[in-house]
Amino acid sequence: MTGSRTLTGIGSTPRTGVGTARWYRSAADLALPERPDPATVDPETERDRFASAREAAREGIRRARDRAAERVGEEEAAVFDAHEAFLDDPGLVDDVEGDIDDGTPAEHAVDDRFADAIERFEGMDGRMAERADDLRDVRDRLLRALLDAPAAADLSALPAGTVLLADRLTPSDTAELDPSAVAGIATVAGGRTSHAAIIARSLSIPAVVGVGEPLREVPDGAEVLVDGEAGEVVVDPDEDRRSAALAGEEASVVPEPVSTADGRPIEVAANVGSAAELPPAIDRGADGVGLFRTEFLFLDRESPPDETEQYEAVVAALEAFPKDRIVVRTLDVGGDKRVPYLDLPEEPNPFLGRRGIRLSLEEHADLFETQLRALLRAAARGGGGDGDRDRGGDGDAGDLAVMFPMVSRVEEVDAALDRVESVAADLADEGAAYAVPELGAMIETPAASYMADALAGRLDFLSVGTNDLAGYVMAADRENDGVADYHDPLHPAVLRAIDRTTRGAEETDAWVGMCGEMAGDPALTELLVGLGLDELSMSAVTVPAVKTRVREVDAAAARDLAEAALACETRAEVRDVLSLDG
Amino acid sequence: MEQIVEVVPAAGLHARPASKLVKTANRFDADLSIGRPDDGDDGLVRADSMLAVTGLNVAHGESVRVVAEGPEATAALDAIEALLTNPVENGDGEAGNGEDGNTEAGNGEDGK
Repeated sequence: MTGSRTLTGIGSTPRTGVGTARWYRSAADLALPERPDPATVDPETERDRFASAREAAREGIRRARDRAAERVGEEEAAVFDAHEAFLDDPGLVDDVEGDIDDGTPAEHAVDDRFADAIERFEGMDGRMAERADDLRDVRDRLLRALLDAPAAADLSALPAGTVLLADRLTPSDTAELDPSAVAGIATVAGGRTSHAAIIARSLSIPAVVGVGEPLREVPDGAEVLVDGEAGEVVVDPDEDRRSAALAGEEASVVPEPVSTADGRPIEVAANVGSAAELPPAIDRGADGVGLFRTEFLFLDRESPPDETEQYEAVVAALEAFPKDRIVVRTLDVGGDKRVPYLDLPEEPNPFLGRRGIRLSLEEHADLFETQLRALLRAAARGGGGDGDRDRGGDGDAGDLAVMFPMVSRVEEVDAALDRVESVAADLADEGAAYAVPELGAMIETPAASYMADALAGRLDFLSVGTNDLAGYVMAADRENDGVADYHDPLHPAVLRAIDRTTRGAEETDAWVGMCGEMAGDPALTELLVGLGLDELSMSAVTVPAVKTRVREVDAAAARDLAEAALACETRAEVRDVLSLDG
Repeated sequence: MEQIVEVVPAAGLHARPASKLVKTANRFDADLSIGRPDDGDDGLVRADSMLAVTGLNVAHGESVRVVAEGPEATAALDAIEALLTNPVENGDGEAGNGEDGNTEAGNGEDGK
């Protein structure tokens, strides 16, 4: 085949997809009617039209918010609060109504005034340019309502194998995408942190953003390959490129469990923060879930979820991975994670304050009990907590494991185990079906790493949360750019804390996993195998690369590498040992 | 009355913290305005306007001057101080891999 054309942009999800191009045109393309003579405009009518359009837009924003919360996560959903605030902006509303009173029809007044605001924001830096996207989104909702135009395209009902091409995608657009139908996304504008890029990554959709004007020449219906690794969009790809890309994609996904070259099994699981992240985790071949965050069930609502709601969410995850294990983390709020109705204390130093298991054992003992009840009941659906993986899978659901966040004292684990026991006794009294799942602790504090032997002796597993562990070991906040250099798990001190954890568990039957960012970096897989980790849990998108890497690693050689890294005194030496640049 | 407050949420006065500020400003019977301390009265904008507040482009760690007038000025100032000095609810400490949307979403919207 000839005529293959390659366009370059910014690769944002490192996957490749091929499909049929379909342009998504936003309401920005809506044609406004010609401006009438101001004398013929009735301001009263126009004000009413504007008011009803605002109500329609408000309803749409709230629906989009709910949908995003459900499908993508609370962080992405929060952007719609900003949309509602823009919709209610008193300055903007006054300006539009002023124009209306001067004889401008509502749609022109909206278009003009939003154009001014969008232009102001566009001229500013990256984050402000995102606000321009927000304003466009709100304007489009108003215009669609005023012009009685249908929603621009039903993004939730695209035919399978669509490569979505767009100028840019707004938060509302991206929240609606059906990830199973979208083979890829390419946009004219936008960077790696644009909404389109963020959502595409969290749903593992191949994406290239910021391709620029040449993308516009790609016609609807063309066959397009989106290579998010190379940052390329190939129009009419030749057969070689096509099959190479698809073969690479298929080969890269390793659905079965993997072992090192010399036969040591390493479980490669996915971190999951909402129900919408389960399907991509399955598609990427994850061996279950190594960190199932439960916070999404609690955020942005007026009261905590009840037992049934929590039970159902966990059972859904277990059913998604009938042959694997799902490690659910009990509620981890506090620190920087706030939940309004939980009435958390004001603390001068929340990262060193009441968070995680500390809250669950005291202030939130009731929530903890409800959560444990839901979890023990859900565990009855899976293989139960005999500590063995039930890979053969006799039931319809995977095995549950439960871990406690922010552990720093052995007493906390003893208390948590007591709670589990008493919840189990209650459920037995009630005649409810339940099972005690595998129980574990997150190793996020230096204290927990020092006490790993005692913790492992009491529990079925430990899971190293490297982001917090690096923060606490190095005394560095990862949000603080001023200490970004300190917050790195490759500092020898952090490696030694991990090593202490795995060695602490060595004498026990407990397995040790890792669920921080470090686990998802294939360049570190050999080191982590050498440090004695049994399980690595990461963002679904990196599962194939890590699985592939595990198979190449020799566990004995990995141990030597880890010993060499542990002997280092500086991060530079560690990087040198690992042959990493810089 | 007025007050100088440091903006603690890592997102600065954007996205969620900004929409919360606007909501709070609307809740009280008071006229609230906000600006950079060095910009004087000319730099003050209305705190109940999302456009105006985000237009200030205030980053995490910067201080803002909040001016309140009206019957509920004191309560409004207190509420705004509480909001600006509170790290906003956030994503997750273990937000998956760096390539992951969670982390980036945090950067863009929520101050990760």
